Amino acid sequence: MLRCVVLGFPLLFLSLPPALTADQSFLRAAAESNVNQQYTIESILIGGVQIQEAKIPPTLRSRFVALVGERCDVARLQDLAAELRRELHLQAVSQRLLKGSQPGRVRVSFDVVQKDLSFNLSVPSIRYSSEQGASGELDASARAGRNTVNFGVLSIGDELAERFSGLKAAYQNSKLGTERLRFRLQFEDYQTERVDYHRRHNIAPQLTFVVARPLSVSAGLSFEEMKLNNGTSAAANAVTAEVHYGRDIEGDTIQQKFDGRYNLRAGTEALNSDYGYTRHTFSFRYEVKAGRKTATEELTAGAVSGQAPSFERFVLGSHFAPENTPGTRMVHNSMTYGYQFGERTGEAFYDTGTLGHTVRHSAGIAYRQGIFVVAMAFPIGEARFTPIFMAGMNY
Amino acid sequence: MLRTKVTAALAAFLASAAACAFAVVFNAPQLLVHLDGDYLHVAAPHLNFLSGKPLERLKDGISVAFLGQLTISTVPNAVVADARSVARFALSYDIWEERFAVTRIGERLDTRRTVSHLSAQATQNWCLDNLTIDKSLLPPDKPFYVQLDLRTEDPRDQLGIVGEPGLNLTRLIEIFSRPAKSAQPRWLLSNGPFRLADLRRGIHG
Repeated sequence: MLRCVVLGFPLLFLSLPPALTADQSFLRAAAESNVNQQYTIESILIGGVQIQEAKIPPTLRSRFVALVGERCDVARLQDLAAELRRELHLQAVSQRLLKGSQPGRVRVSFDVVQKDLSFNLSVPSIRYSSEQGASGELDASARAGRNTVNFGVLSIGDELAERFSGLKAAYQNSKLGTERLRFRLQFEDYQTERVDYHRRHNIAPQLTFVVARPLSVSAGLSFEEMKLNNGTSAAANAVTAEVHYGRDIEGDTIQQKFDGRYNLRAGTEALNSDYGYTRHTFSFRYEVKAGRKTATEELTAGAVSGQAPSFERFVLGSHFAPENTPGTRMVHNSMTYGYQFGERTGEAFYDTGTLGHTVRHSAGIAYRQGIFVVAMAFPIGEARFTPIFMAGMNY
Repeated sequence: MLRTKVTAALAAFLASAAACAFAVVFNAPQLLVHLDGDYLHVAAPHLNFLSGKPLERLKDGISVAFLGQLTISTVPNAVVADARSVARFALSYDIWEERFAVTRIGERLDTRRTVSHLSAQATQNWCLDNLTIDKSLLPPDKPFYVQLDLRTEDPRDQLGIVGEPGLNLTRLIEIFSRPAKSAQPRWLLSNGPFRLADLRRGIHG
């Protein structure tokens, strides 16, 4: 999403330390050579409970259940154990193989260790583009049960027409009475260098209802205030809504991922907003992986009507809007083909985008290792040929 | 009478202490070296690295990864070795047959050698026998020391540092602040000096 909307190119990153990746490969190879792979999984227990009755997300449970009756793939069991740990916010998940009811069969038992309180410090993303400079974020989060508090500092130069820097904080409750209902309260305070305003801060409460596992609906409010350069302030308060659908389908030979999102923001006088506007954004991403090959299609489109503040308008990087002027209509499409060499992936991509005027194109190549990417993008059909270099992590 | 009892007790204590000391010396892992064809091989008859946590994990059916390194240096306790050889082993335990299997994984992950149906001792011997160093790397005219460094790879070290949420600094701090000994069982044996000419004549370390 960020790649296509903001830059219009795949972003990419620096390589992992070689020793680290080598160790990961080695540990995976060790799991894959486990002598118990010859046996058939008879049953799976999680925390002493049969998998069919275990209270875990249905998608994850179905993946565990699918292993029953299959050969004991230890590497896959380790992957699922790691996923279980992440999904349930556990401190540790360890697995044991036990003899089954008859020779040639095994039972798999996952032991779980819960953590009631956790603290994390992370760098979710750091990236560089020869066009927009460096962007990055440092996050701290503390979790107690279902409550999470995040605090982050960031400097972003590739999301809006201008760079903004500052801090954000959020409180989230992932179970508001029921697991289907979540609450989030976010606060943001950013400094920027624009001719019309120099600072904006936002308070945004939001409720999310999980209709079914892949489908969720959110609704909320956004109280955003801008400090104008003439000494006054302006409010861009809005009603927000979002529908999100995300689904992974894992076949024997083909894995597919769907992700679709519709987002609405409407500034209204009912919230005492100085701006009356409506902003629609739609995005769709489809990824298919078969063996060593991957293909990705990403489409993003948006439209703004009424009088919207500049940060609500669309940008696509200077190649797609040479004057770097935010637009009120935007369509962007990105197609990527990748081929995996061990843990490394070589990619080729083709991007097309418009902000309502000229349709522009670019093509490029990328090298990806894990979450790190390095890429070069080349504008097509331009009088001035200026390749763009990008590198980063989680771009 | 009392004096006789004290003397007898003291004698028994000294005898026990001597026996323990002898046992410790006798059973202390010793690194033996010999030449076989173009390679220098090592053996450690009293080294038991299939024990403790690694053995527990193996008996739970989990793979355990070992990293072995042989180094050659012309001075004892050298920081920088003159030559070295590294081997990676993946061990697992057949929970039905109650025997071990081991795979030596080459620099390229698709180059492997596997043996199975081994006892614990045979597994350890196989690992050491497959950790060799080329004879051409040995100093031809100088005495040299041989060191064996064997450690398990802790999978926890590799999880969670880098992933979809980005770079997890908390995990990184945990790893660097964790005592190496408790996280990664390690065995270090050395012996020397040896001379290549002596090894050629069949004089073993």
